[in-house]
Amino acid sequence: MKPNVDFTLQTIAASLLTEIAPKISDDYVMRNSALTAILLQIAAEEWDRAAARRVEENGALRRLFAEAAPEVEDRELRARLEAASGGEEESLRIADLDRSNDALRSLLIELHAHLEEVETENARRIESAIWRELRTSTERRAVSVAPF
Amino acid sequence: MTDLSDRFARYVAHKWPEATDIRVEGLSRIHGGASRETYRLLLKLRRDGALEERPLILRRDPSGSLIETERSTEYHAYRAFHGTAIPVPEPLWLEEDEQWLDRPFFVMEQITGCESSPQTLLTTSPYQERIERIGEQKWRILGELNKADPRELGLADLMPAVTPEECWQQELRKWEEMIDEDEMTPQPIGRAAIRWLRRHPPPPPEKISVVHADFRTGNFLADGEGNIRAILDWEMAHLGDAIEDLAWSISRIWCWARDDRPGGLLPRERAIALWEEASGLRADPEALHWWELLANLKALAIWISGGNEYATGENQDTILGFTGWWLTNSQDRAILEIMGHLK
Repeated sequence: MKPNVDFTLQTIAASLLTEIAPKISDDYVMRNSALTAILLQIAAEEWDRAAARRVEENGALRRLFAEAAPEVEDRELRARLEAASGGEEESLRIADLDRSNDALRSLLIELHAHLEEVETENARRIESAIWRELRTSTERRAVSVAPF
Repeated sequence: MTDLSDRFARYVAHKWPEATDIRVEGLSRIHGGASRETYRLLLKLRRDGALEERPLILRRDPSGSLIETERSTEYHAYRAFHGTAIPVPEPLWLEEDEQWLDRPFFVMEQITGCESSPQTLLTTSPYQERIERIGEQKWRILGELNKADPRELGLADLMPAVTPEECWQQELRKWEEMIDEDEMTPQPIGRAAIRWLRRHPPPPPEKISVVHADFRTGNFLADGEGNIRAILDWEMAHLGDAIEDLAWSISRIWCWARDDRPGGLLPRERAIALWEEASGLRADPEALHWWELLANLKALAIWISGGNEYATGENQDTILGFTGWWLTNSQDRAILEIMGHLK
């Protein structure tokens, strides 16, 4: 789509913020318009990276599961980690990538909780890798206008 | 707003049958009241021959909100603290009969000539020059609030009882349940926080206090002299551990100045010292750490819940969608920071 979607959203947001909102006399509506403009800015930021960050994260989680699986004594959990680590994206549609991401992050929660109960050096090593991935996940999702 | 104005005027006539010439002027919705629809208005009427003008605030239940709270909690908190060292607007009426305005509501005095917006307070004159003064009052008032005896205030019978040993469990359970019910995507960081909080319970409080539970820059009114004139938004108030309030007030997500000053106002150590001095309580570091993590989890739960209501159409106030996008990831980062995993 041309003009590009992110450019168009940014342009509409700027117009809403600087041209339209200041002319709205109702304070509540004016502030809602300003919030809408910021939502459009966030959507524009997400547009370009949306598929890339999901593919990157799903790949990182699968690699993490592949590394963790041999260290997990619980056979049922290990089998699911192995299965997930070998998975691939069925499509690059955002909804499909989100479905994969939800499944992988649910499994990550289970793995994390499991490792917290295991007193081995390998468990600590994988746990550290999980924390690194969680930190990286917030960097992938960073919103430039967010407070922190 | 004519319909709402007319209906409110009829309600006032019902409450004050001796009043005549009742008029409601300038009724307009205030932005940001994510838990209630909040309106300002000017009530004009005649009683005993004299003309009265009363600026009022009307808080009406929405169809959905960031947090589902009891309006009576907020009303009773205003009633309990009105006339004490804790500045609050005078509450007038709590009305649960939906015949008047379709949904329950309460009415209170409007404090005029003040500002609550963090952005305005921190970046515009005459407030920004008085940030330190405002900050000092903020944490002194919080200390006074937490020092107050719930029984003397009459709140011990109106709020659910809790023992010192149960305080942390009550709050952790509440916010975990909200995440369980409302999450639309798995929350590995929030879940890790929940597990840590459960494994490392804090020491019990010295005493049971009234906890405001949303005490932050944005929820008080300051005038141009830098005086805090009212503490607002008591809808989450409950009995519990006072350190919960301190932890929430210094939480990373409210560092509006984008530096390390809680609330954008004072250095953290100064805020804590002021609170300790005013409350007579000690901010035990172990307890404070636990409650700071809980504060971040609670905020995460609130953003998740608001986003859920927006997505399901229960309440499509823009601010609910906005907070979901704007704050959820920041909240995850704040949790990582508290748990020592951000770097």
